[in-house]
Parts: sequence; C-alpha cells; structure tokens
Amino acid sequence: MESNSKWIGFINPLSSESQELLRENIDLENLFENNKELIDIILNIGEGIFDNDEKIPKNPAELGLKRLEWFFREKNDKQLKINEYSYLYNPQIEKYDIISFHLLAQAIGYKFNINSREVKLFLESQNRLMEERLSRISPELREELINNILSQLSDVTNLKWTDLLSLIETKKIFLEDLLIKNSKVILTEEDFREYYYEDIKNWDERRIKMVYEKIIGKQVKDEIMRQLIITNTEEYLKKIKEKLNIIDIHHSIKKLGELIEEMLNILNEKYSTVYGEILSGGLNGENLKGEKLIKDAFPPCVLSTIEGVKSGNRNDAIVLFLTSFISYSRLHPNVFKLDQHMNLSDFDPNLKITYDEILPIIYEAAENAVPPLFKDQPQEKINITSKLGFGMHNEVELNHEGETKWYTPMSCDKIKMHLSNLCHPDKICKKIGNPITYYSYKKWLLQRDGNSNSKNNEANKKK
Amino acid sequence: MREFGFDHYGKGPNDRYKTFKTPKHLRMFLRSKSPFAGYISVAFYNNPRRRDDWVKSEFVFDVDAKDMPIRSCNCDNVCEICLDEARQLVLDLIDTLKGDLGLKDIHLIYSGRGYHIRILDEIIMTGEAEVRGEIVKYTTGAEIPKNSVPIGYTKLFNERTKRNILNLTGKEIIDGINPKLLKDTIKNRDVLINNNWGIFQERIGPRRYKNLINSFARVNLSFVDAKVSIDLKRILRLPSTLHSKVSMKCVEVKNPETFDPFKSAVPKFVYERK
Repeated sequence: MESNSKWIGFINPLSSESQELLRENIDLENLFENNKELIDIILNIGEGIFDNDEKIPKNPAELGLKRLEWFFREKNDKQLKINEYSYLYNPQIEKYDIISFHLLAQAIGYKFNINSREVKLFLESQNRLMEERLSRISPELREELINNILSQLSDVTNLKWTDLLSLIETKKIFLEDLLIKNSKVILTEEDFREYYYEDIKNWDERRIKMVYEKIIGKQVKDEIMRQLIITNTEEYLKKIKEKLNIIDIHHSIKKLGELIEEMLNILNEKYSTVYGEILSGGLNGENLKGEKLIKDAFPPCVLSTIEGVKSGNRNDAIVLFLTSFISYSRLHPNVFKLDQHMNLSDFDPNLKITYDEILPIIYEAAENAVPPLFKDQPQEKINITSKLGFGMHNEVELNHEGETKWYTPMSCDKIKMHLSNLCHPDKICKKIGNPITYYSYKKWLLQRDGNSNSKNNEANKKK
Repeated sequence: MREFGFDHYGKGPNDRYKTFKTPKHLRMFLRSKSPFAGYISVAFYNNPRRRDDWVKSEFVFDVDAKDMPIRSCNCDNVCEICLDEARQLVLDLIDTLKGDLGLKDIHLIYSGRGYHIRILDEIIMTGEAEVRGEIVKYTTGAEIPKNSVPIGYTKLFNERTKRNILNLTGKEIIDGINPKLLKDTIKNRDVLINNNWGIFQERIGPRRYKNLINSFARVNLSFVDAKVSIDLKRILRLPSTLHSKVSMKCVEVKNPETFDPFKSAVPKFVYERK
C-alpha cells in the first residue's frame, strides 16, 4: 500500500508538500523535452496505450494536456476506453502530476478569463480527478487521507456551515447533505456520537459505525474536502492573473496556453454535440438565433402558464416569468451567454414580432388565467410593458424604451421558490438550470428528429 | 436606515420610499394621515428614499395561515384552528433555525393573519437571495433527502412530511396526488405516528410513494411564502399597526409557546364595538 503522505499531493496539488515538491522539480526550460523517467513510469503502468505513441504523455506539459483531454472525452466521447488514461489514477505519477497541475493553472490563468469555459473545464477536471482517484483506494487509507487533507484545509472540529457560505450559495454543497447542529458541521466520529446521542443511543455499534461512514465519511467529508480544494484552486488562478499584471510570463507557459486552446478547439469539433454544449455553458450557432416560436419545445412550466394559472400565482407567473421567457426565447435566446445588457428593439427594431408573436401569447395566458388577469387587475398590462423594457405604460411603444429594463428570464431555481406550483420537471429539466436552455435544447432535438425523419422518408422514397 | 410604506386607500401599500428620522416623526405622520396600514422594509439602505445603496436585509419566513395548503379547519379565511397550526409550524421552523443552524437573533411577529419570523443575525443579513433560498429549502423540508437514515435533515423532512400527512382532511387538492392516492394516504397514515415509514411505503406501493414524497416536498415548501424570504427589498407589515382586513394587531410575540392572538392581538375597539 502506498504511504499516506504520497497520496496527499496526488489529491491536493496545493498542499504544502506539493508546493515543496514543485519547487524542487520544476524545470521550465525543458518543459517540452522528453522526460525518460516519466515515460518509463507511464509505460510501466501501461494498459491501453501501447498501440499509439500519441497516447503517451512524454513530458509534464503533455501530461497536463492529457488531464484536460481525458476529462473532455469522458464527458463527450461515448467510445472512450477508460484504460487509455489509467496512468492518471496511479500515484506513481504524483510528482509529474503536481507539476502538470501547476503548469496548467499558470497557462490557463494566462490564456483565459476567470469566468471562461476553459477555467470551468480545468476546475471540473480537477474535481473529477480527485473523485476518481479517491474511489480507487482502500476505505481505511481513504478515510485517513481525507482526514489529513481536511485538517490541513480547515479546523474540522470547529467547521460551521457559515464557513461554507460561498459553496452553499453557488450550490456546490447543499445544506441538506450536511449534518448540522448548533451551526457546527459534524465531521468527526466523536462529534457524531455526541451530538446525535439521542437519535442513535438505541443503535448497535455496527450500525453507528456504518451510518457515520456512509453519511459523513463517504459523502460529506469527501465533498467538503474536494470543494475546498476547488475553491483554493480558483483563488490560485486569481492570484496568477494578478501576478501576470506585474511580471512577464515564461515563454514555455505561453506556448502551453496556445496548445491548450488548440487542443480544446480540435476536441470541440470532434466530439461536441449540442447536448454537450448545453451542459458546458450554452448553445452555439444556429440554435441560438431568434426564430419563430415552437410551442412543442416549451418546458412544462411555460405550457402550464399558458394553459391558465390560478389566482395567487397569476401575476408573477405571467408578468415576471412568462413575459421574459417568451420575449427572450423569441428574440434573444443567447441572453446568458452574452454579458451585455440589450434592449428588445435591438432584435425587433419596428416591434413587429413583439406585436404579432410575443404579446399575443402573453395576453392569451392572461386571458386563460382563473380568473382572467386583466379583468380584475387591468394594471398588470402596464407591468408587462414595463418588464419588456418600455416603462410604465399600457401599450408597448418604441419611444418609451429604456424607461425600465428588459427583465431577464427566471432560473429554474427561482421558479421553484416563486412559483412552485408550476414546476413539474420532466427528464430534460433535470439537465438544465433555466427554461430558456430547455427551449433551445428541445428545439434542437425536435429539429434533429425532424431532419432524420425527413431523411428516412427520402431514403424510403428512393427505395 | 429603513424604508417605510403606507396604505392610504385600503388597497395595499401605495405610498412607499418614506423615511423618518425619529420614532416621533413616524408617530406624527401616523396621527395626521391615519393610513389603513403601515409597512417597513426588511432592508437597510444608506439611501432609503431611493432604495439605493443597499446595506443588508433581515431574513424572513412568512407564514400566512390563510395560504397554508393543508389546514384541518378548512375555513374560508383564518380561524383559531389554522392560526394555531401556523403557530405550531413556526415553532418547528424556529427550532431548526436555532438548534441546527445556530441562528440567535430571531424575532417572531404575529402579522394579523399569520406569522413573520424575522432574523437579524449579521451573517445572514448580508447574505444574498441564493443562500436564503437554500436555508428556506432546508428549514421547510423542501428537498427529498438522499438517504433514509432518520437523523439530521432526513429526520427533519420526515417530521415535516408526517405532520402534513396527519393533518390531511381529504378535501385538499394537491399537485401530483390524485384522489385515490390521497384517500389511501389517509387510510394508512396511522402507522406514521410511530414513524413506521417502511410499512407506510409498502402499503402505498413504491411508485406511488415516490410520487407522494415528491409532492409533499413541494407542499412542505409552500407552507411559507418563499418569495418573501428571497426578496431583499420587501416591505412587511409594521409591528404595532393594524391589519385592516381582519381588524387584528400586528404584534411582536414574546412567548411563542403560549401566544394566543385572540388574547394579545385583538384591539380594544373590537370589543367596544360589540
């Protein structure tokens, strides 16, 4: 069995041990030179790479690229054979793995913005690697290791849920998954026994151990540890960015940055499906153009709003939710990909689409509401105009544009809170976080199926 | 400083963005204008007159007895029974907020038709809507637990769900639960008194049980008005003012265990009128 200290850097490349190892071994001048020691280790681990020389990373820079390639392909390539990258899970590569992690961080920090998809990909790949590596070690070693790393990262006997606020806010950790007593997140077995004494006092010893292991040992601790490391990695990237303002970066790192970009472009072309694109941050190209609305592609929450909402929910459902959904999905489905705030008339300069296609659907939903919305609350028409960005007026008129802001579509999470009655998730809903994304994806699916149907029909005709 | 709002015509707050330098100024305003209702923001602003330069906001749980999805009284508005059920729920919520989350600066207000839990712990006052949403989900039991071991959140979820199932009258219309499932739930619910969830699940059937639990996660959340909790700029009825629709006072509750709105929140003039 590998010694524990060896594994620490393999899981947490930011630990003090790892930093020391990095300082002793990094050689920026020879970053792209073949490294015999590394090649020997990789060939020794072997499995699934002997048929093609390109599968073998020959230096720390290439190992870094392989880390990203593995993650990308794991997400997008159904043909991927897992043993092609088996060296990534083997601690024999630890030294080179740590070096490659830091090289990647520097190169990505240099080349891409902190909120870019590339940074996200790097962070996710690190998270997935930690998860995969941890799943391959014995339970005893794993527990000891997690305890060790956690104690380096935070005070485990005194961790409060409020210390994890940023992780909770970004939904990386859920309160429901933690055991919390009097603000303290329970992590140690002693605390578990003490704080839950009343609940577990009649359990036998085996059950207590098993439950602790299952709920805290395997889930909570592991999750908190990985998320803390990811947060530290994010901080590390930010620091690299700051430093880059002061000092010039080494040419090897620059080169690696270019190579990462090049590789990701090739991978994107080779493997990416629209589906993959959705999951990694939004659709590209044609599917995001504003075009005539297809009701069959509306998510369940939109359909039930149009069919008619009941009193109590009517105002928010129609004014806040539907108005923004219909207008953005018709005119500007790209809204969350572009940071810039736009006006409705940037997409519909003479408001023809707004009058002919958008408002009729919103007014139809208002009419279908029980009781009809404008009957007892005619002022809500003004609110609809206002949410489209045309001020507090009864009618949408160009000269009033900009008096209010074009309200951006609600996320699924907000809908759950504001309008929980409308949220009846189907299979697609589980993959997305905003009804607008649902619409774009479903539209793509419908078009794809439609295309393949028409191709089949043509093929049948030829027969 | 906070924003004040008033209802001068009895149709909801129509006069907002008000500020007062001292309680005396507020008193003078109330005496001279005698509005139907008075409100105060949960938010503190450096410039409350424009709702500008936000500093922090109280974190609120709003329980309106009239809007609770399950009420054993089935009354049209509010009555002693549903107001007491609202109080029981509020006691449970406070228990979780204090006992689990360790929040300390918690005030309970009787709003006239239900309760406002107003939380002033600094750590949460500066928190964004997303964090507030997560706390609401945890506290109300709005997420289906990932394991079935009855400790921590799973226990909380079971307790909230159990109480709601035991309070069903059979007249409810609940999303995702058809009349047959509702009837069978009521028929078999007695085993839940002793927390025999396994037996209950067996009797309902695994597929239907899953639907039931899904629906109840939603029901648990809808006992509070979650949009109030995540709204950082909300105004709430001002304690010590009158709820003009029900002629009851909005008052701070000193002891939630013994509070009875019919003793503490009915203004004198109601008795005099009789």
